[in-house]
Amino acid sequence: MQSLDDLRRIIRRIETRRPPRAAAEPLERVVGGELVETGAGSLLVVRREYPLEHRHGRVPLDGVRRAPLDVLARVARVESEALAAERLLFLDTETTGLAGGTGTYAFLVGAGWIEGDVFVVAQHFMRDLDEEPALLAALAPLLERAGGVVTFNGAGFDLPLLETRFVLARRRWPATLPHLDLLRPSRRVWTGCFDDCRLGTLERDVLGLAREEDVPGALIPSLYFDWLRRRRAAPLARVFAHNRDDVLSLAALVGWFGAALGAAPALRAEEWAGLGRLWEPVDLERGLGCYRSALEAGLAGEPAHWVRLRLAWWEKRAARWETACALWDVARQRELFDPRPWEELAKFQEHRARDFAAARVVVTDALDLARAAGAADGVLAAFGHRLGRIERRLGLHDPAGAS
Amino acid sequence: MLGEILDDLLISASTGPCITASRHFPARPPVYAPFPATMDPRIVEALRARGIEQLYSHQARAWDLVQSGRHVVVVTPTASGKTLCYNLPVLQALVHQPDARALYVFPTKALAQDQLAELEQLAKQLPEMRMFTYDGDTPQDARRAVRGRANLVLTNPDMLHSGILPHHTKWAVLFQNLKYVVIDELHAYRGVFGSHLSNVLRRLHRICAHYGSTPQFIMASATIANPGELAARLTGEDVDELAESGAPSGDKTFLCYNPPVVNPELGIRAPYLGETAKLAIRLLREQIATIVFAQSRLSTEVLLTAIKSGVADRATGDSGLVRGYRGGYLPNRRREVEQSLRAGDVLGVVSTNALELGVDIGHLDVAVLAGYPGTIASLWQQAGRAGRRSGPSAAILVATSAPLDQFMVTHPDYLFGTPPEHARVNPDNPFILANHLKCAAFELPLVADEPFGRTDVRKLAAALEDEGLLHRAGERYHWASETYPADHISLRTVTTDNFVVIDTTHRDAQQTKKRNIIAEVDWGSAFATIYPKAIYLVESVPYEVQELRFREDEEKVAYVKRVNVDYFTDAVSAKGVWILQRFEGREQPGYVAEQGEVLVAEKVVGFKKIKLGTMENVGSGNVDLPQQEMQTTSAWLTVAPATLARVSRSREELIDGLRAVTYLLHHLAPIFLLCDVRDLGSWLGDTTPAETGAVATRESTKARLMNAAEFNPTIYLYDSHAGGIGLAERVFEILPDLLRRGLETLAACPCAFGCPSCVGPVNEVGRRAKATAAKLLRELTA
Repeated sequence: MQSLDDLRRIIRRIETRRPPRAAAEPLERVVGGELVETGAGSLLVVRREYPLEHRHGRVPLDGVRRAPLDVLARVARVESEALAAERLLFLDTETTGLAGGTGTYAFLVGAGWIEGDVFVVAQHFMRDLDEEPALLAALAPLLERAGGVVTFNGAGFDLPLLETRFVLARRRWPATLPHLDLLRPSRRVWTGCFDDCRLGTLERDVLGLAREEDVPGALIPSLYFDWLRRRRAAPLARVFAHNRDDVLSLAALVGWFGAALGAAPALRAEEWAGLGRLWEPVDLERGLGCYRSALEAGLAGEPAHWVRLRLAWWEKRAARWETACALWDVARQRELFDPRPWEELAKFQEHRARDFAAARVVVTDALDLARAAGAADGVLAAFGHRLGRIERRLGLHDPAGAS
Repeated sequence: MLGEILDDLLISASTGPCITASRHFPARPPVYAPFPATMDPRIVEALRARGIEQLYSHQARAWDLVQSGRHVVVVTPTASGKTLCYNLPVLQALVHQPDARALYVFPTKALAQDQLAELEQLAKQLPEMRMFTYDGDTPQDARRAVRGRANLVLTNPDMLHSGILPHHTKWAVLFQNLKYVVIDELHAYRGVFGSHLSNVLRRLHRICAHYGSTPQFIMASATIANPGELAARLTGEDVDELAESGAPSGDKTFLCYNPPVVNPELGIRAPYLGETAKLAIRLLREQIATIVFAQSRLSTEVLLTAIKSGVADRATGDSGLVRGYRGGYLPNRRREVEQSLRAGDVLGVVSTNALELGVDIGHLDVAVLAGYPGTIASLWQQAGRAGRRSGPSAAILVATSAPLDQFMVTHPDYLFGTPPEHARVNPDNPFILANHLKCAAFELPLVADEPFGRTDVRKLAAALEDEGLLHRAGERYHWASETYPADHISLRTVTTDNFVVIDTTHRDAQQTKKRNIIAEVDWGSAFATIYPKAIYLVESVPYEVQELRFREDEEKVAYVKRVNVDYFTDAVSAKGVWILQRFEGREQPGYVAEQGEVLVAEKVVGFKKIKLGTMENVGSGNVDLPQQEMQTTSAWLTVAPATLARVSRSREELIDGLRAVTYLLHHLAPIFLLCDVRDLGSWLGDTTPAETGAVATRESTKARLMNAAEFNPTIYLYDSHAGGIGLAERVFEILPDLLRRGLETLAACPCAFGCPSCVGPVNEVGRRAKATAAKLLRELTA
């Protein structure tokens, strides 16, 4: 028994230790690229150039140059005065896992930047885990040159991971480099539009990009481990393509934001609403303008309801009562009972217009609907309380009428 | 006052005969030393502000050793000012070197909190000190700030293992400048837990080496047989042991109290809980600060109830004078009790061994131990909780009727003469080592010939590479898996799955949705504590369990209601061990040794209702809960029928002899395995395989074997850690040797009929057991 197991183990070991078969296609031929000497070992770098007119999905790459980066920086809360398109570094990493900590490697780092009239994507790949020093040595000058980094979820993932790698290798990490994480503004704009806010979803539904034979992100670590053990290059081609698309999408997304934040973009109703959320904390009037555009563009359903309440809240704060009431009036007609517009209308009639009779009508209608909708006790009690007070003010003393 | 009471206990006709032994430990004067000349004047100032004008000799000695660069373990009694031994050098370094860092490791989060509070007191005027705890309770959004700001971090081994080391780059500044590592309560790290810690410290060493620091270890331990050796094994360093205390201690008396026989025909003694309560009440009524140690959470509550009512009926009726303290109380309640003990607002406390560790509760006059705590080390630790720097104090051990307790109080020379236990660790246990090697590779690639313990890393790393976890590139093995290995390795056996106990008494009346959580119960003891109809006591307030939710897919909750009852409930449990799978077997002359996988099941089958006060049995009930099962590895030994026949023709005698051998092997094996007694379980059963639905029943081992159609008794020694960590395999390998050593131990033991050092106390195993066991062992080693 035991000797048989030993034998198997030895065979397995011989099997895995065998050097890469000569017959297998070499990596460079599968993914292109060339070996680069970094001073800390050599590294495979796959470099591709795209003319700036190149469209990634529907969006041309030179949108980056036209984008009002100062505005984008403001809405995305980047702490930097001036970002220059030519000094942006677009970064995306492929890693050996999501666990984080010191045992997770970034084995493929895609970096993109504008160089003259082309967009360069340079992919840095470690053919084995001991090539990390070379990879970091190649990245360091790119970061040093950059005036800012653009990522998607880089604040939560790519940058801390790279920082870990840099610190481990005793390299200085440029912690103060301005960082534009597109996930933040994307969440503001597209939350509610799509099921999730992943880069793949945005590519498909915003950039209009259909990836062919894309490799699911969850598979990537095992494909790399498989490469380490078996040295078969073919499956890696899809990983490189995936990473390249990610980098290009970063540039395209910046272009999209640039256009949307610019003068008079052509947008869908939902996107107007999202843009309103993006502007709201930075430039209120522009935000409200976007909300209005969203409604004008025919925003419907829940997003429209949300936008109306939001708009009405600001109108109320500016004491533009007529506009506010008009919005609440539409909002209260929502099929699913929402007490908020009713409450606001009742408050307006009671305290502003001091039309107690009208207020009473609003509240009694609200109560009927609330009961029918099986609203929470607290909601019923609040309306009941309000009704009692209004009726006292009206001089009606019918305790039975108040619930 | 105390002296008079003790005299009275010894002389009076009712209690005098119960005192089986009395030992007197004379007062020891303090040995002082001046503040070291090199000590920063502001630290001297801080000490003076706390009323400290000079050091005890051991504190000054510790200072000198640390300044000379030695690793030190301080082993001095409770309340001897141990913490200053490490706090002073650490403060000095941190005040003088802005970059220096220190790491404190405590076995529990509560102790870290406690120490932080003490440090903050001491460092009030030292703005350089930036001290923070970093553990599971540290909010996520505060962690970055702690990492950035702290120059002294207080944590626990578990957090070091899974939260700090695998993220060492975030702690780069700490590891670059780590000057001191402080490990308190060193004695807690024995057996498997200690073996884990040792490997965590090996990993710490690697990380420090990577960042270029070589920290010095300062440790503190309660009295055990081998603190220096333990410290050296845990840290892998040469450690100086510092055991001479300069702290004064008052005059101390230790009494052994055996409850009086109330039924001479049956030899039944008065219930020990009642006797303990009587003693405690008597002391408390005389305003003597008393701590009562109970051996379980239930007896803590029962004692507390009795003592509270006893104190209340005479004095002002304020029973807030006595508090309870045990695991399961919510943290606020525990902090409150600790605080009021320190402040002297509370006169007495009834506690489990939770207060045995170094939580600061000030000084008490008397410790009453309700039952022998199981080890000599614990005995002294608990007794040490009483004792002022001057003035008399006392400890009283009240024996239960269990054979072990009876043996101890009737053999005081054994009790007072036996040295405290050894703390054993085996950091090179291949299961534990391999797991930590994974974590180490995750933290920094392994170099093929780097030292990691005494094992050849190359071989293990190659094996892990075959498993697809490591990948070799050049001369290094890199972590090559998506997983986070520390998440899969728990340093302790306890699971984190706690039950919350929710009081629903007022729920119907007020329609409130607020959950009123009154306590927590860990998974392991839940079924024996909060089964439906159980009376669950929280600081002696009784609640009845209405419902227990324990299914996998639901939140673990016990709903309870406040009740007024004069009884408590005690669970009746059954146990069984069955074979799941044989891995290996060996025929030896006289027996068959085997090893494999077993099912260990424990089941709560019912409960007894016991009247508070009189401890009468006033009823019972059934409990219908599934049994709690553990699969683990075990070695077992089945004695051949012919051998049994040669030893004795009486089945009863054989069973007693086999129980004796089981006890002996269980207590002997840890010495060879370098583990703790608790890391192994033992069981005398037979070779029945685990069929589906094997259920533990009420029937006792003896009865079951007596009635069995086929008599094939089997001794099991199994791994207490689910899944096993290789202890059982090792038992299987060394079994012939173990049996020989067992026989030698028996022959060398001077007792007549069995004692805790050989086959177990005589009342447990019977008067003939030692002789039968010796005969059995001679057959088995022939």
